[in-house]
Amino acid sequence: MTAVPLWVLRPGGSRAAGWLRTVDHKEIGVLYIGMGAAFFILGGLESLVIRAQLATPEAHLVDPELYDQLFTVHGVTMILLAVVPLLVGFANYLVPLMIGAPDVAYPRLNALSFWLSLVGGIVLYFSWIAGGAPDAGWFSYPPLAGRSFAPSPGVDYYILGLAVNGAGTIIGAINLTATILLMRAPGLRVSRLPLFVWMVLVTSILILGAYPALSAALVMLFVDRQLGGHFFDPTASGQPLLWQHLFWFFGHPEVYIMILPVMGMVSEIIPVFSAKPIFGYRFVAASSVAIAFLSFGVWAHHMFAVGLSAFETFFFAASSMLIAVPTGVKIFNWIATMVGGRIRLATPMLFAIGFIAMFIIGGLTGVSLAVVPLDLETTDTYFVVAHLHYVLFGGTMLGFFAGVYYWFPKMTGRLLSERLGRWHFWTTFVGLNVTFLPMHWVGIQGMARRMWTYAADTGWGPWNFVESLGAALLAVSMLVFAANLVRSIRAGAIAGDDPWDGFTLEWATTSPPPPENFRSLPAVTGRRPLWDAKHPDRRDAA
Amino acid sequence: MRPPAESIGNLAVIVGAIALLIFVAVEGALVYVVWRYRASRTTTPALFEGHTRLEIAWTAIPALTLVVVFALMLGTLGEIGAALEPGMRVRAVGHQWWWEFTYGDVVTANEMHIPVGTAVEVDLLSADVNHSFWVPELGGKIDMIPGQTNHVRLLARRAGVYEGQCAEFCGVEHAWMRIRVVAEPADEFARWLAAQAAPAAAAATDGERVFMANTCVSCHAIRGTPATGRAGPDLTHVGARATIGAGVLPQGVADLREWLADPQRYKPGSLMPRVPLSGADLDAVAAYLAALR
Repeated sequence: MTAVPLWVLRPGGSRAAGWLRTVDHKEIGVLYIGMGAAFFILGGLESLVIRAQLATPEAHLVDPELYDQLFTVHGVTMILLAVVPLLVGFANYLVPLMIGAPDVAYPRLNALSFWLSLVGGIVLYFSWIAGGAPDAGWFSYPPLAGRSFAPSPGVDYYILGLAVNGAGTIIGAINLTATILLMRAPGLRVSRLPLFVWMVLVTSILILGAYPALSAALVMLFVDRQLGGHFFDPTASGQPLLWQHLFWFFGHPEVYIMILPVMGMVSEIIPVFSAKPIFGYRFVAASSVAIAFLSFGVWAHHMFAVGLSAFETFFFAASSMLIAVPTGVKIFNWIATMVGGRIRLATPMLFAIGFIAMFIIGGLTGVSLAVVPLDLETTDTYFVVAHLHYVLFGGTMLGFFAGVYYWFPKMTGRLLSERLGRWHFWTTFVGLNVTFLPMHWVGIQGMARRMWTYAADTGWGPWNFVESLGAALLAVSMLVFAANLVRSIRAGAIAGDDPWDGFTLEWATTSPPPPENFRSLPAVTGRRPLWDAKHPDRRDAA
Repeated sequence: MRPPAESIGNLAVIVGAIALLIFVAVEGALVYVVWRYRASRTTTPALFEGHTRLEIAWTAIPALTLVVVFALMLGTLGEIGAALEPGMRVRAVGHQWWWEFTYGDVVTANEMHIPVGTAVEVDLLSADVNHSFWVPELGGKIDMIPGQTNHVRLLARRAGVYEGQCAEFCGVEHAWMRIRVVAEPADEFARWLAAQAAPAAAAATDGERVFMANTCVSCHAIRGTPATGRAGPDLTHVGARATIGAGVLPQGVADLREWLADPQRYKPGSLMPRVPLSGADLDAVAAYLAALR
């Protein structure tokens, strides 16, 4: 099996025209991943400027106006233009392969959702050259995001960009839901779906529930800003808190939208590299459904300081604690999967273990934020910045890197370098802890989020300097990763169809797969169809 | 009466200890399992794939732990809410980017004084966008939201200066919106309040004349003079406050002069413009303001 570059597979036309008009789920997946990667680089560069500014107290490297634009765009970029497209890209590429389908249910709609997502991102970034980027934070609370206090068009670009991007994401979620429900190979019952596919299904349903709330809120903010409306205007009986409720009704499920697909990746990788089936398949799947359900009832834990009633406070504290239970169930099942296994510490597994280790920290600090009196001290400080980066960098990104090392061979036909992979892992692991661990401490000491600078007499300078050094190390780790990708795509070892002794159907076809995905499918009689085909003597129970 | 910050501190220690215990146990299990079952030590992997009683156990035990945490939380909330009988009331209004504190008729800015050992109920309002009032060592933060009044109770057990910071992003100078809470014995506090209540002593200096003749008066009030602006901080006793510009510079004639000469250099984006004054006028106004004690 030789490595065939993707573009060779397309009939006729120039390469660029082919990418523009493709409706192949694998190519659209690659486009999504390319979009996510490009915005990840932009968001990363923004964060480096932020860390450079904060490295020393009372610095004037950037002025506060630029600083506010940088952290606003960094947040929006990483969440909506980097992480979500990267994960949707992997879902697009892998779901049809894992369920033995030739493509997604609606290939043309798939192209539409990608191009809408990309155009939304471009609209947002166009603001940099059209009067200033949005500067009211990624959650853009009115009245600050209203026209009186944010007269520049930045917030309007935020509204338009997010609305268009969100439409793309919603359409994509409909497509993936239909694909998973309707296009499974014969014998692949829902109770046998690979856990990554399970998590994509749950994530898609979360998107369908959460994103419309954001779209509605964006329209209302647009009406306030451009058509003289008063939804959020306290000077005309509007209610600024209404925005917060609507935004976080979207915003908290969004956190799970960004973590569940990665939990799915890890749930594929850990069993394969332990040479064992997943422990407690039904509980891992069911706990995701529980998380999805609960995630719509926890939003006001972002708002404990706004003056909620006692009932609201107790309700949202309880629900936010409760959601830790199904999350813990997953962690225990992953560890139990490794017990009794034969663990190969190849790079995908290293990153998967790193994901668990870091996600535990983000999860525990998350529970502390549900404890209201503690939240009132830590909310809107660097403690929260630390928490969310342990979840989204320590969690989502480490798990995502695990997925990249695991499926890159399927997508390109070549393996990533193990040696560079190890460098990548350890620089990332050390870098993220050096960057984000001290933030807990400065947050508790009183450093609020979103301060463009801080006084020297606060004593936060040394910690911030260490954090900035960590950020520099993270930049180096990303360069190592980029070098690995570039080198391996050209000259990596040939992977073959099934380099990891995999369990699921994507490893039953060529690497990369042909346009129609499969020339023949193994019979599906259990959760590990390829394992059953390779080991007829040790088949799973049907 | 236990200060809210102490109740929160006690809760943090207990919850932190529980979290640390879970952290060590789970990370320890992870590391041990990876080490114990690494490929070089194992030949044939086992094939079990579940255990219902284990699943129930690791669902139920965390859930019970959280019930305990929830109960502890309720206890602390009760302690904070009920135990403090407020002996005094202060009105705090967040502005872009400074704080207005009102004690009855007395208006001051950025530096709040409270008597030691007396619970102080602070009414929290906003004049423009969302802010959040937070003095970490005195308790949790509560947001200031235009159109509603929130409340927070402060209690300082020891005399001293407690530093705080606006905690809700409120625009370009969110960073330089610091709070100083000075907790002092009741008699000192009473003297401070009496001094604040008095109008500014007539100065009849060049500085006063320059101040009154320029745009300063459209934003700032100095009680006892024709200056009655409300957009910026009340300056009646500005010289008695320890900092300038909500914490951006220390108090003093030299720093006041620096600040007046170009506020945008120290607090870019601040709503205080650079007023074009001659060097001599700057000296005079700085001296006048520093003397308003």
